[in-house]
Amino acid sequence: MKPPPFTYCDPESVDEAVALKSEYGNDSLVLAGGQSLLPLLNMRLARPEALIDINKIGDLQKIERRVGILEVGAGVRQYELEDHPLVGELVPLLPEATGYIGHIENRHRGTVGGSLAHADSAAELPCTAVALDATVVVQGPSGTRTIAAQDFFQGWMTTALEPEEVLVAIRYPVTPWTAGHGFVEVARRVGDLALAGAAAVVNLDEDGRFTSVSVGVLGISDTTVRASAVESALIGEAPTEENIARAAKEIVPSVTSEDDLHATRAYRRHLASVVVSRAITAAVARARERSNGK
Amino acid sequence: MTTEHTDTAQKPGYKYIGKDRKRVEDPRLLVGRGGYIADLRLPGMLHAAILRSPVPHAWIRSVDATEALRLPGVVAVLTGEDCKAKMNPCMNFGPATVAQYPLAVDKVRYVGEAVAAVVAESRYLAEDGVDLLEVDYEDLPPVTDPMAAMEPESAVLHEEHGSNIGCERTFEFGDVNAAFAGADLVVEDTLHWGRSAGMPMETTGAVAQPGFNGVLEIYCNSLNFSYFAFLIAGALRLPSNKLTMKPVPAGGSFGSKLAAHKVPTLAGFLALRVGRPVSYVEDRIDHIVNSDHHGCDRYYEARMGFRADGTIVGLDIDVVDDYGAYMQFGVGHHGNAFSQVVGPYRFRDVRYRLRAVLTDKCQQGAYRGFGSEVHNWVLERLVDSGAARLGLAPEEIRRRNFIQPDQFPYTIPGGNVYDSGDYPAVLDKALSMIDLDRWRAEQKRLWAEEGRCIGIGLATTQERSVFSSTEFWSLVEKPVLPVTSSPESATVTIDPTGQFQLLLHCQSMWGNSPETVGATVLAEEFGIPPESVNVRYADSAHALPSTGPGGSRYTVMVAGAIRGASRKLRRKLIQIAAHTLEVAAEDLELVDARVQVTDAPETGLTLAELAGTAYFFALSLPEGTTSGLEESYTYDHPYTTLPAPDGSDFGVFYPIMGHACHIAVLEVDPDTGIPSFLDYVAVHDAGTIVNPRSLGGHVTGGATQGIGTTLYEELAYDEDGQFLSSTFRDYLIPTAGEVPAFRIGHVETPSPFTEYGIKGGGEGGRMVAPAAVSAAIDDALREYGMRVRQLPVKPSDIVAAVQAGAGRAEAG
Repeated sequence: MKPPPFTYCDPESVDEAVALKSEYGNDSLVLAGGQSLLPLLNMRLARPEALIDINKIGDLQKIERRVGILEVGAGVRQYELEDHPLVGELVPLLPEATGYIGHIENRHRGTVGGSLAHADSAAELPCTAVALDATVVVQGPSGTRTIAAQDFFQGWMTTALEPEEVLVAIRYPVTPWTAGHGFVEVARRVGDLALAGAAAVVNLDEDGRFTSVSVGVLGISDTTVRASAVESALIGEAPTEENIARAAKEIVPSVTSEDDLHATRAYRRHLASVVVSRAITAAVARARERSNGK
Repeated sequence: MTTEHTDTAQKPGYKYIGKDRKRVEDPRLLVGRGGYIADLRLPGMLHAAILRSPVPHAWIRSVDATEALRLPGVVAVLTGEDCKAKMNPCMNFGPATVAQYPLAVDKVRYVGEAVAAVVAESRYLAEDGVDLLEVDYEDLPPVTDPMAAMEPESAVLHEEHGSNIGCERTFEFGDVNAAFAGADLVVEDTLHWGRSAGMPMETTGAVAQPGFNGVLEIYCNSLNFSYFAFLIAGALRLPSNKLTMKPVPAGGSFGSKLAAHKVPTLAGFLALRVGRPVSYVEDRIDHIVNSDHHGCDRYYEARMGFRADGTIVGLDIDVVDDYGAYMQFGVGHHGNAFSQVVGPYRFRDVRYRLRAVLTDKCQQGAYRGFGSEVHNWVLERLVDSGAARLGLAPEEIRRRNFIQPDQFPYTIPGGNVYDSGDYPAVLDKALSMIDLDRWRAEQKRLWAEEGRCIGIGLATTQERSVFSSTEFWSLVEKPVLPVTSSPESATVTIDPTGQFQLLLHCQSMWGNSPETVGATVLAEEFGIPPESVNVRYADSAHALPSTGPGGSRYTVMVAGAIRGASRKLRRKLIQIAAHTLEVAAEDLELVDARVQVTDAPETGLTLAELAGTAYFFALSLPEGTTSGLEESYTYDHPYTTLPAPDGSDFGVFYPIMGHACHIAVLEVDPDTGIPSFLDYVAVHDAGTIVNPRSLGGHVTGGATQGIGTTLYEELAYDEDGQFLSSTFRDYLIPTAGEVPAFRIGHVETPSPFTEYGIKGGGEGGRMVAPAAVSAAIDDALREYGMRVRQLPVKPSDIVAAVQAGAGRAEAG
């Protein structure tokens, strides 16, 4: 369990990192917190020619409030999503979901950008990014571009990031004050990769009916899934137990994971609707609390 | 997770034994000075990495090392061909026709088996060299299903052995057919106990060095080399006096370092070939796929007969044990099960059919319980089944069948003896620590009002301790090595200033507390502060006969050895004091580090004064007494007898018998299949307790591993023989997030056969927790007809059972 030889680079600016990515392209990997990459290197499942360590780049480590937006630098450690007061205030789903990433030690090393770029379909941050309609900011030789989260995650550990590009930030729309959020994840042990999980954000009208529902689901497919069929089944409906349970079943066709050591496909199909239903139920309860508190 | 202790036991009459004591080993471990094998650096030391087979079953046609040997820093590449030419097969208590080497010879027999070793200037370079090896395999059909492996058309792992059945025997004690004919109820079950293993934080490792005078020195964290060093020498074709095994403390074992012989054998072989020190330390993948210590993997057809009042009348077991590719310990795991084949119950009629099967998997070794834990799970599953059918509470059916306190010593079917016990007292103690009536009411209420599924599981176990080595061969028709010795030795030295050195004759430090135990016993014998004792470990060139830890024997055995040596020393001290004080020896006593006149305690000599005399004033010593204060003692097994040659009786081989009762309360989420603990009570009787604190640690750790085997841990092979759990991402060990805060209680029934009445207590937690947790899951989901038949039971199994149960309810 020792990595094969590689060239190590530690650029101090994004421009420098982009230049290195342009030089090495697909033969390079970005090292941030190393929580997923180092095991892959040590098991020789990844054999990059160059490792581009972005930990020295201060510009990537900022959390900022913009108009209607919370921008989180790619190098921000995951635990800051739990601890930073701005995050809890502006996008309250994030601290809750982040608590499910591995263990506290992992979250102190692991970065926001690292999790997004790794694009594990069972990971929490890609799922919340999709549920929150976040935008990923990347920089390449020709400048900066933005990609909607739903378009960013393309398949099994595959993203829209080009070989010469570096992920620099993620922009989350500020969650409306009246919205409710819920996050539910089922794993065999605390901190394990999820068997399935769901993130939900809902808004209710004055009659208590759904005006918006957005749901991301993790662990059921090659990539994190936006549960559009569930969402449309609920818009305009009352948030009753029956309605939510019925709509949650709409996620089942999206479950494509095969049997593995930890879960059968049949179990995951069942579990997907359970977590979706529970996440929406939790979000509804919060939305009601907030509207009552008005 | 925190563990709560109740009733710290304090034996009247002992000053140190029985009192909670912090481990004397802890300070150095806590500051990172454990002295582990991976920290050892010898001048000129090379590192080895292993190429492991990616295929389950194949002839090795060739290994091409050309490219690897061209890599700068690579010193040598060795393969099974070198082993075949230059060494003998490794130590083996199984069939001689199932031979094994540290590198596969001619064929590979499981994914992960070692094929070639690359020796290089660093571990990095060694692994780079492994990458460059090219092996030509000629694939053979994988043999993965033990049932299919027994069929005549199956591919055969060991041509010389001729079939995949390593051992097939049936034993019957009493008359099971007659017993079942008279039974009011016979329950039967098909059960599978899946593979798990001890996963110590530190893997197995060795550093071998060609030393002076042609002596090969092997530093190794395996445990009982002074018992088997000669076997390693034999494999390496060395005279046994030209091999010295050097003790290195182990960072955990749970069995996986018990006679872990292949790692030191390989390191020794490589060092001999390259003529330089070589380090081979398993990495985590090496250890998980190839530890040679996977745990039991057993398929049961089991039946138990009852009378209407709950009395058990007989047990009928048909077990197929998937041993993997080799059988280094023979079928000792079933010998182990026979040590407590009837559990704590009185029934006399037992039939046990065993088929040990060879398949393309890593071989079995030792894991906390060594086979008894599986048997106990089966026994308790059947007892629970009978209780449910007869409408008896789990505590009630057990109480009605317990061997009674006045029946000891008690000979069980098969010949083993239970030394002593008070099983009703253990059950009562457990029941006193938890309000079962309240939990049962709460269970009903929560189901009725909220549909929540609470389960209560109660199970007991015998905890056999202090093995006799006959268990390794008594089940076999023609044993290879029918040894009957399993001694333990200790050397106690009082230095010229009266300070104590304790020399242990094996590497017994594997995360347990050998030094704390040794220091406590010496403190008891001499009235000295336990913290003042210095403990050392002998290398194999200096070691007296010693078997080392295993089978929950070490505390009992080392206490016997230390007490034996202490008696000799005390006698010498008293003789010197009698001579010096000019009083009769019988008028003297040793109290609080001082020899004094019994009737006039103000007259006496301290140990320091006596030691000064013993070392420096030979002319003041009594006639015939020589200088110095050092005594050794070899303590043989306190009570073992020979098995009958015809297998009608295994003799007495595991008579020091503890007992335990666990009660688990948990909730299962029927929609996700995730269990979570609400309460857990564990009461153990390990005879006289030396240190309740460290015994509690054993109970906590053992029960945690039992929960792991029951709910999480799985060494899984797919049907093609590929291994699915080679990292901790897939091999799930329970953490503090999963296990309950155990509430531990103790009962003490001293053994009549051991010094101080101590019994072993290292394994009971893992022997009973699987039965208690399985019962709790069944109980939680009784409305759905849940029955745990296969371990580990996973969330998907639970949800499938819930859905099937709900479907049945709807259809009904």
